[in-house]
Amino acid sequence: MCLSHIKKGQKCRLVSINGEGKLKQKLLDMGFIFGADIEVIREAPLYDPMELKIHNYLISLRKSEANLLEVELV
Amino acid sequence: MIKVALAGQPNCGKSTIFNLVSGINQHIANYPGVTVDKKVGRFSYKEQKIEMVDLPGTYSFSSYSLEERVAKEFIVDEKPDVIVNIVDASNIKRHLYLTFQLLEIGIPVVVVLNMIDVATRRGIEIDAQKISQMLGCKVIIASGAKGIGGDEIMEAIVKTSQESAGSFKINYEELEPLIEETQSEIETSQIPLDKRWLAIKLLESDETISAKLEVEFKDIKESTKAKEEKFHSLYDKDIAPFLAAIRYDSADIIYHKCVKHLKESSETVTDKVDKIVLNRWLAFPILLLIMFLVYELSIVYGYKLTDYTWPLLAMFKNAVIGVLPEPQFTDIPMVTDFTIWMVNSANALMNYIPIFFILFALIAIMEDVGYMPRMAFILDKIFKKFGLHGQSTLPLVLGGAMVGGCAVPGVMSTKGIADDRARMATILTVPYMNCLAKVPFYTLILGAFFKEEMALMMFYISTVTVFIALIVAKLLATTVLGTRETSPFVMELPPYHLPTFKGVIIRAAQRVWVYIKKVVTIVLAVAIVLFAMLQFPGLSEDSIQKFDIQAQKALDNFDKKAKKSAYYELVDTKEEIYTLLNYYDNYKSQRMIASGKEGAEAVDADFMQKNEALFKFVKSGDDKEAGEINKLLRKLSKDRNKILREVKNEKIENSFLGMIGRSMEPLTQYAGFDWRINVAFLSSFAARESAVATLGSLYENNKADDQRAEEAMAQNSGYTPLHAVAIIIFMILTPPCIATMIVVKLQANSYKWMLFAIFFPITLGIIISSSIFTFGSMFEVSGLDAMGYFYASVVALALVFGLFPTKTKNWFVDKK
Repeated sequence: MCLSHIKKGQKCRLVSINGEGKLKQKLLDMGFIFGADIEVIREAPLYDPMELKIHNYLISLRKSEANLLEVELV
Repeated sequence: MIKVALAGQPNCGKSTIFNLVSGINQHIANYPGVTVDKKVGRFSYKEQKIEMVDLPGTYSFSSYSLEERVAKEFIVDEKPDVIVNIVDASNIKRHLYLTFQLLEIGIPVVVVLNMIDVATRRGIEIDAQKISQMLGCKVIIASGAKGIGGDEIMEAIVKTSQESAGSFKINYEELEPLIEETQSEIETSQIPLDKRWLAIKLLESDETISAKLEVEFKDIKESTKAKEEKFHSLYDKDIAPFLAAIRYDSADIIYHKCVKHLKESSETVTDKVDKIVLNRWLAFPILLLIMFLVYELSIVYGYKLTDYTWPLLAMFKNAVIGVLPEPQFTDIPMVTDFTIWMVNSANALMNYIPIFFILFALIAIMEDVGYMPRMAFILDKIFKKFGLHGQSTLPLVLGGAMVGGCAVPGVMSTKGIADDRARMATILTVPYMNCLAKVPFYTLILGAFFKEEMALMMFYISTVTVFIALIVAKLLATTVLGTRETSPFVMELPPYHLPTFKGVIIRAAQRVWVYIKKVVTIVLAVAIVLFAMLQFPGLSEDSIQKFDIQAQKALDNFDKKAKKSAYYELVDTKEEIYTLLNYYDNYKSQRMIASGKEGAEAVDADFMQKNEALFKFVKSGDDKEAGEINKLLRKLSKDRNKILREVKNEKIENSFLGMIGRSMEPLTQYAGFDWRINVAFLSSFAARESAVATLGSLYENNKADDQRAEEAMAQNSGYTPLHAVAIIIFMILTPPCIATMIVVKLQANSYKWMLFAIFFPITLGIIISSSIFTFGSMFEVSGLDAMGYFYASVVALALVFGLFPTKTKNWFVDKK
C-alpha cells in the first residue's frame, strides 16, 4: 500500500520507492531505504503534506511524493 | 596555513561551532557563480594559522543539489588539509551517513559530536573512544551553544593536519569487484584525492566527479554505465539504493555498539511543542500571531526606532552642510547642491538599518529555533497551488503582506527555499508586496482625491497586493519558469533549539553589512546619474534673467525697509545680508531638529558663540529694532525659498528626466498620466520616498506656502479620482526600487532576471492602468467604483488560478 494512505499514529516499513532521479536519491539520503521503519506523526492542518518519523527524526513529505512510496504495515 | 572545511548535515549546529572557533574573525562571500553563502573564518591556534571554510549543509555527498555540488567542488578543487565533520550527538545514526562519505574522500577527518548537552539531557550515553576506534579518526565532544570543546577542536585540527588520512573503508560487498575495477582504470588520475572514493562516486553517477574525470579519461562514462548495467543484471539491484542501504546499515552498527539510551525514549520537548504548534486548529492562529509579532517588532517598532536614529543622520547631514560653500542668496553652488542630494539619498537608505537589523535578528531566531520549516509545513498546500513553496511565507510577509514591508529583506530571505522554481517565483513576486515607502505616496494621493473613502481605499490597496502576487507567481511558474527544476518537498522538521545570542547577532550584523555593501553603494552610483539627469541641461538664459530680477526685487525690498532700522549698518551690503540669511536659515533648521528645551538652549548657545552680533536678529527678545529685522529676514527667507522652488521646477521641466517624462506622454496618456507623474515614477526608482517629494514640489503653486501638498495636488493637477486610481494601480504594480533590483540580481544570480523584474511589472502596470482609465472614462465610472471593480476581478482571478493545478515534474516511473 501507499505511504500516503497510512493513518496518523500507524507504523509501517518501506518496501520500495517508485520514483527516479533526484527524488529517489534525496529519499535515499534521508534514510528511506528498504526495510526502514516509518511512523506517521500527523498531517498538516490542511491535510497535506504529512509528517513522518524515520530513523528517529522528523521529516515532512507531500502526499504526491508519499504516493510513490510502497510500504507494509507493521 | 591549515585549510579546514567544515562539513555537516543541516541542523547539526554547524554554525554554532563555526562561531565558537572563529568568533568574529569571519566574513561572508559567495561561492563562485552561485548564491550559496561562503563563510570563511581565520584564526590561529598555538601559532598555527587556520582558515576555516563553512561548507553548505548537506545530507549526503551523492545527490545533485546545488549545495552538494558546491561542497564537492570545493573539496576537489581546493583540497583542504582537514575536514571537520559536525555530528548531532542526539541523532548520531543519521549524521554518520554523511561521515562515512567524508571519510572515504581521503582527507583527514575530525568528527565533532555537537550538542552533547542535549544528548545527555535525553539520556543518551556515547562512547566517543569507541567511535574513534571504529572510524579511525579523532572524535571530539562539544557543544557550540554552551561553548564547550572549542580548544579541543582546534587542537585536533592542528594535530590531524600533520597526519595522513586514516584508512577507513566500508565493505561494499557485492559491489567491491566493480569498485576495484573502476579504481584501476582511473589509477593515473591527477586528482589528488583517494582513488577508491573517486571510483565509488563514478559508480554512483556523481555528475561533479564524472565531469572532472571525463577530462582525463574520455570513455569513463560509458564504461561506468556498462558496469552499472552489469551490476543490475547480476544482483537485480541499482547502485545508489544499494550504497545508501549499506551506509545506513554501517551507521546502525556503530550506533548500536557505541550509543546507549539510559532513559526510555519518552516524549521530547519537540514532540510536545509540535502538538500545539502544528495542531490542526491552533496552527494558523499561532502562525498569524508570530507573523504579527515579527511585523510589529521589526516594521512598527523598528520604524519608531528610526525616530531616534534619524537625528543622527540629520546631524551628519548638517555637519556636511556646515563645511560646504554657502549659498549666495538664490545662487546655490553646484557642489553644495550635489553633496546635499547625495547625503539625502544615502540617509534615506541608511534610515532603514534599524528595521533591517531587527528583522534579520528575528529571522535568525526563527531559523535557529526551527520554526521556519514548520511554517512551510503548515502553508505549503496553499502556496503549492500558485507555484510557490511553503517557505515562501516569510519573504512575502517581510515584503509587506501586512500594510507595508520592504522587498529588500523579503528577497534576501528567499535563500533557503529548496525548490528552484518556487524560489525564483518568490524572488520575482516579493517586489509586488506593499512597500513601506509607498505608503506616504498613497496617503498623498488618497488625501487629495479620496478624503472620505480613505480607509476603504487603503484596505483595497493593502490586500489586493497579496492576490496580485499570487497571480503573478502562478503566471510566472506556468510560463517563463515552467521549465525550471522543481524539488521534491522532502524537508526535515528539526528539533527545537534555543538560539544563541551571539549567533543571532553575528548573523543579523552580517546581513545588514551585505545590505550596506551591496545596496547602498550601487544606489549612490545611480543617485549621481539621477542628479545629472535632473540638473542638466539647466535653465535657459531668459529664465536665468527672470529669476535674477526676482531675486534683486526681494533684496531691494529688504534693503528699503531695513534702512529705517538702527542696525542698518550691519546689513547694508549684499555679503552681509547673505551671511545673515544663511545664519538665520541654519539656525531655524537646527532648532527644528533640536529636541526639548535643553536641545534648544544648546543650539542657542552654539549660535551665540558663532556670531554674537547676528544672534539678536534670529532671536530678538525685547529688542524691537532687531525684531523688525527678524521680520524682514523671515520674509526674505520665504522669498528666497519661493524663487528656489520655481527654479527647481523649471529645471526639472527642462531636464533630461523631464524630457523623458514628456516623451512618454503619448503612451502614458491612456493611463491618464502627464509628464509630472512620469517624472515622479522615474525618480521614485532610486528610492520610493522621492516620488512624494517630487510630486509635492511639482504641484506646489507657490502662492500660499502653508498649503499642504494634498490640497495643492487636488487643486492644481486637474486630475479626477479616476486619474488617481490609475496612478495608484500603477504604483501598486510599479517596478521595485533599485535597492530591490540589486538584491533580485544577487539572489537570482542573473542580470536577465533583474531586467525582467523591472520591465514585466512596468508593462503589466501600464496595460492595467490604461485599461482602467480608458474604460473608466468611457463609461464614466467613479474612481471608487473603478478601484472596486479592479479589486473584485483580481480576487476572482486569483481564486480561479488557484483551482488550476501547477504542473510539477512527475517523479513517478512505470515499473518495467
